[in-house]
Amino acid sequence: MTHSTGHSASLDFPQPEPLDLSSGKYVKLWQGPQHPGITGNMSLELTLCGDEIVECKTHVGYLHRAFEKLMERRTYIQNFTVVCRIAVPEPTFNEYLYAQAIEELSGIEVPERAVWLRTLNLELMRLASFLMWIGGLSGAFGQYTVPNWTLAHRDYVLDLFEEMTGARIYHMYIVPGGVRAGLPDGFEQRAREIMDSTEKLLVQIERVMFNNTVFKTRSKGLGIITPDMIDPYGIVGPNARACGFARDLRKDEPYLAYDQLDFDVVTDNDSDAYSRAYCRLQETRQSISLIRQCLDNAPTDGPFQADMPNVLHWKVPAGETYVKAECTRGEYGYYIVSDGSEYIRRVHVRGPSYTHAIAVMERLAVGTNIADIAGLMVSLHTYPPEIER
Amino acid sequence: MIDSIINISIELWNWFPPGWQLFIEIIAKIILIVLPLMLAVAYTTYAERKIISYIQVRIGPNRVGPRGWLQPIADAVKLMFKEIVLPTNASRFLFLFAPILSIGPALAAWAVIPFDRGMVLTDIDAGLLYILALTSIGVYGVIIAGWASNSKYAMMGALRSAAQIVAYEIAMGFALVGVLMASGSLNIGDIVEGQAGGLSSWFIWPLLPLFLVYFISGVAETNRAPFDVAEGESEIVAGFHVEYSGMAFAVFFLAEYANIILIAALTAIMFLGGWLSPFEGFAFAEGTWLAATSMLWFFAKTSFFIFCFLWFRATFPRYRYDQIMRLGWKVFIPVTIVWLFVEAVMVVAKIGPWAV
Repeated sequence: MTHSTGHSASLDFPQPEPLDLSSGKYVKLWQGPQHPGITGNMSLELTLCGDEIVECKTHVGYLHRAFEKLMERRTYIQNFTVVCRIAVPEPTFNEYLYAQAIEELSGIEVPERAVWLRTLNLELMRLASFLMWIGGLSGAFGQYTVPNWTLAHRDYVLDLFEEMTGARIYHMYIVPGGVRAGLPDGFEQRAREIMDSTEKLLVQIERVMFNNTVFKTRSKGLGIITPDMIDPYGIVGPNARACGFARDLRKDEPYLAYDQLDFDVVTDNDSDAYSRAYCRLQETRQSISLIRQCLDNAPTDGPFQADMPNVLHWKVPAGETYVKAECTRGEYGYYIVSDGSEYIRRVHVRGPSYTHAIAVMERLAVGTNIADIAGLMVSLHTYPPEIER
Repeated sequence: MIDSIINISIELWNWFPPGWQLFIEIIAKIILIVLPLMLAVAYTTYAERKIISYIQVRIGPNRVGPRGWLQPIADAVKLMFKEIVLPTNASRFLFLFAPILSIGPALAAWAVIPFDRGMVLTDIDAGLLYILALTSIGVYGVIIAGWASNSKYAMMGALRSAAQIVAYEIAMGFALVGVLMASGSLNIGDIVEGQAGGLSSWFIWPLLPLFLVYFISGVAETNRAPFDVAEGESEIVAGFHVEYSGMAFAVFFLAEYANIILIAALTAIMFLGGWLSPFEGFAFAEGTWLAATSMLWFFAKTSFFIFCFLWFRATFPRYRYDQIMRLGWKVFIPVTIVWLFVEAVMVVAKIGPWAV
């Protein structure tokens, strides 16, 4: 099913002529770092000809906190407080990947129950993140009702997180060797209630937002990613799936309990902002179904954590590994090198935001209207802290 | 005691020369219109926040006063005490003149709006023309504000507003030509009287396409969602009023809401029979207050259209600027022209509602 453009694809897209900025024909306009239409702290340097964008340069660095370097100066267990700050609205993927990398290096076997709880946690996170994103896209097009609805329902999901992990945003629930706790009493029933209400909400959102003529005219045909861009630019996740590329690590290289769950990869063919939004709406539904399956299948007893050494003076065996998982935006990877000491030697985080928000954004913005920048930016689903990890 | 007070008042009144008496009378009438209007504007903002909150599953303002009723007053006081920041490179005179230019026409247009039979400040025969002229002046406030701010975002908002107004003024004007043909008068009171005879005689039925075009153009003309490109929050931040603060900003705000109420009132007058009762001629309402003409009908109809403005804002995303232009030039103007032609043929051939 997976398409491949092979190795023939290259980066020699037609390069634009340098612009004569002194001609008086162009206007330079900075959007950001505090512009309401930009997701987080980054800015776009736009060159406009009338209302049309002829050149777009992205500027990052407003949020640089040197996560990777910070992690080299902390013990393995301390780093959990750092990794979850890398992508603020969805910290769990970072926690899981970091824990997974350490487990691979030190050869720890995760108990079955922890595997299911991790899957449940990741899917809840995906649901919360997609809810926030759908609202964000609607807000970028100037409709502020759907954001309020989705943020309200995201809060219900955060309530579930609070029950499950004790924290709403930065859970640090997934730890090396398993998870921190089992599910509390009555969690399953409350989770099912919230899944039902969220499913009803998605029907309403489809009616109010996706069937809205104005939303359709705004988002259809906006920011079309052509299939030849996928491989050279490294476009992954729903952005690639909206072009018909059925790439999903959960299916292609199953991890955790995904090989025991029943789901299909969502794809669409229009590869514009509407199609990306629709893909994500379907994936939200899919996420709800996966959460239900996790609740059905997760073992209720047994250990949720493997036997672990004292993590305060924990030396991870020397070696290196790359682990990856499908986060809401696509492939998310952690490359970790350990030299056998108490500290990590090197960590590299591969986040999809880097390519999506910089290279892809600069390409797609050219030729669009200034009014569409916010929608385009949001439709790519990027988080600036993840760009500058 | 009371008699003597009345006598003294009458003597005082008679002491003024007749010219002065007329002047005082007009001033009093103006105050009687403008003060309630300002109050209505303040509470339209409250209604907007509350209604949109309920649509968005929120509660909205509920801290200031019982159920938040004092919120608009608190907002006004806050804005009055805020500093008006003048940008260094702004054109000072135009910068401060723009809000005045914006609110002036929005208030002046109320001079010809009849609230009830004969209850109008100036009953002029060219009332419709007067309104068309004044509503077009209002956009100069927006354009000048964008120009004087010396900011790129403000300039873009102003340009968008200018282009949009040109497109929608024409559609709006043509829609009103339809009303003019149907009523045979430019006097707004006569336009309302032309719709006498209950629900079925209102112009909304024979002029349904024109009604839709007029109301949607009205939404566009007041720069409200989904046509709020001039201030497009997620695109050009706040558009033409991005540099305004304090009372200068508040005046723009007042003008916007005064315009909303004006458009709602005009739609009620032109197409829904203004102060006329919808139950005129119905047997069950005969002789009761339901069938009588009343200011209440006018306010009820106006409130309904104001609610529509708020409803649109809560449910529609913003149109893109070029899509707005396409809608205006390629859909609304042809629709109005075609319907005017149909109407003209019907009037000449004396068929339908014009078979007099």
